[in-house]
Amino acid sequence: MDDLQYGKRDKRGYWTPNEPAGVAPIWSFPPQVMKIIKWLPQYFFPYDVLWVLSALAWWNWILPDVEVMKTLAWGWILKLFVVNLVAVFVFFGVYEWRLYIKRAQGTRFKYNAKFPSEHPSEAFWFKSQNADSILRIIFHAMPIWTAIEVGILYAYANGYVPWISFADHPWYLLGLALVMPIIHETHFYLIHRLIHTPFLYKHVHSVHHNSVNPSPYSSLSMHPVELLLYLGMALWHLVIPSNPILALYQLHRAGFGAIPGHIGFDKIEMGDKSGLPTHAYIHYLHHRYFEVNYGDGLVPFDKWFGTFHDGSKEGDALMNARYAKRKAQMNGTQG
Amino acid sequence: MSDWISACDLSAIEQEGALRFDHNGRTYAIYRSATDEVFCSDGLCTHEAVHLADGLVMDYEIECPKHSGAFDIRTGDALRLPACKNLRMHDARVEDGKVMVRLR
Repeated sequence: MDDLQYGKRDKRGYWTPNEPAGVAPIWSFPPQVMKIIKWLPQYFFPYDVLWVLSALAWWNWILPDVEVMKTLAWGWILKLFVVNLVAVFVFFGVYEWRLYIKRAQGTRFKYNAKFPSEHPSEAFWFKSQNADSILRIIFHAMPIWTAIEVGILYAYANGYVPWISFADHPWYLLGLALVMPIIHETHFYLIHRLIHTPFLYKHVHSVHHNSVNPSPYSSLSMHPVELLLYLGMALWHLVIPSNPILALYQLHRAGFGAIPGHIGFDKIEMGDKSGLPTHAYIHYLHHRYFEVNYGDGLVPFDKWFGTFHDGSKEGDALMNARYAKRKAQMNGTQG
Repeated sequence: MSDWISACDLSAIEQEGALRFDHNGRTYAIYRSATDEVFCSDGLCTHEAVHLADGLVMDYEIECPKHSGAFDIRTGDALRLPACKNLRMHDARVEDGKVMVRLR
C-alpha cells in the first residue's frame, strides 16, 4: 500500500493521516444517523468482541470452580498469573513481531518513522524501550492485573457483592455490557487527568510518557500506581451490581485493550490494497504532545474541556495557543 | 562577560546539525543551520537534563532526543511540550572556519 495516498510524511519523518482524528459520532447534534450507522460496528469490532470472548474463555477454561475461589490459595492464583502473563506476551508479541521485528510493512503508516530499538535512550532501563517495557509488564503490570482479578473473583465467590446472573437478568447485564466501553472511557479520562497533575506526573505518569514513540509493549509500561488506577477500573463491578464475567471483560478491555493506542501505526496492512485501521492516532498524539487527548474520543471529554487535538493544523494552532499561555507563565516566573 | 573562545571547526558540525561543547565544567550545544549560520545555547534541555546536541536539528528547530520537546536555535524559545522554559543563548559566530562562542 502507498501510505502517501492516505497521509503525508514531513521532513522529520512524522506521518499524518489526511483524515483528522474524530470523536464518536453518537455525540453530534443534530444526530447524524448515517455516520452513526457507519461507525457502530467499531463499537464492537474487532476489539470488544475479542475481550468478551477472552473473558468467557478465562471463565470457562482458566478459572477454577467458584468454591475454590472462595479461598486465596497459591495454586489457582499462580496459574492465573502465568496464563495472564503468557496471554499478554502472545497478544502484544504478535504486533511486535509483525510490525517491529519482521517490519512487514516497513514505516508505511507509521506515525514516527523511527523504530525505538534503533534509538537507545537514557529514559529507559538498559537504554531500551522494549527491555524497560517488558520488565515493567512482568514485574509490575501482571502482578497488579492478577491481584485485581483475584480480588474481584474472591469477592464474588464469597458473596461480598451481589452476583447478578445472566439467567435472571439478561437484559440488565446486556445493557451493562453495552455501556462498559463508556465506563472505561470515563474512568480512563478521569484518572488520566489526575496523573497529569504536576506531582503525580513527575513521580508516576512520566514512566509511561518516556515512550514518546510508543510500540506494543509500551501499552502497559507504567508505574505501579498508574497500573492500580488504570486496571482498577474493573473494580467498578464491585460497586455496580454485575457479574464476574463482565468484570473480567472490563479488566481484559483495560489490560489487553491498552494496545490499540500504542501500536504506532495507523493501519495494519492486510495485503496490497487494504489495511485494518488501528484507531491509534488520538492516543499517539497524546504521547507526542503530552497535554492533548486525555481520552480516546468515545466520549468527547477533550472537546468539552478544550484539549482535543485531531492532528490537523487547526489542532496544532489550538494546542500552541494553550502552550503559549503556559510558557509565558513558566518563563515569567523564571526571572 | 567573558571573551570569545574557539569552540570547534565549523566543519565539525554537519549542516542542520548540533555539537556538544563542554567548557569550564558547563555544557553547551552549538548548532549549524542549513545556510551555515551558527548558534550556541546551554547544552541541556530545560525539561530534563538531556544533551540537546544528541537531538535532531531541522530548519531552526532542535528536537530533544528524550521527549521531543523543541526549541528555536536562534532564540532559545521553547516551541513544544514538555519543554516550557526557554534555553539560555550565547553569542556565536564563524571566524576563519572556526566557531567562536562568547559564553554568558
